[in-house]
Amino acid sequence: MAMHVVMDHAGDRRHYFDKEDAESLAEAERRFHELVGRGFTAAARVGPGEVSKIHAFDPAIEETLFVPRLVGG
Amino acid sequence: MVLFRRPLAGLRVRALRRLYQTHLLENTAEARGLRLLRSWLSPKQRAQLDSEGAFEVVGSDSGKRYRICYGTSTNIREIDRTGRLGHSWCFVPVGGLVAGDVMLAQKIALETTETAALAVANKVPLLFCSR
Repeated sequence: MAMHVVMDHAGDRRHYFDKEDAESLAEAERRFHELVGRGFTAAARVGPGEVSKIHAFDPAIEETLFVPRLVGG
Repeated sequence: MVLFRRPLAGLRVRALRRLYQTHLLENTAEARGLRLLRSWLSPKQRAQLDSEGAFEVVGSDSGKRYRICYGTSTNIREIDRTGRLGHSWCFVPVGGLVAGDVMLAQKIALETTETAALAVANKVPLLFCSR
């Protein structure tokens, strides 16, 4: 199962999806576009501790992290 | 004055480390945030966080080093070429997130889009930096 991790005030929300199931995959893709559209940054691991931003839904990525928009503190 | 700063800094680091280790064991938002952060750090960054309550990242555009301390505001210090801590930067994700999430968001931003992250950040003069 692949996973979308969305940061929120409770720590995070996790959404699992089956890459072999068309309906599950479509739901995951819809969630990806909705979150990115709301200003979240999508990131994936590319090595131990190495991170890359991703700009398009990729069903091959096992874990995608969604980070809310940044503002000055 | 300088004589008193070092012991206080040491106490602060120990207190932060205790707080961090306590949170890590709980099933709270704070603990989930810290576990998520740890799972995305490199082994070196994880070791730094465990021992110092802070870890270093390298900016994607400038190659500068930054120290991200446990916390949710004014917790990023730039490190100069001699290894000394410089001024602070402050930027956070919206949504009132817990410390682990904030620190992970800061790591990802500095390591992937440093210039854009610093463009929204507030720069805190050295005079007001405490850690």
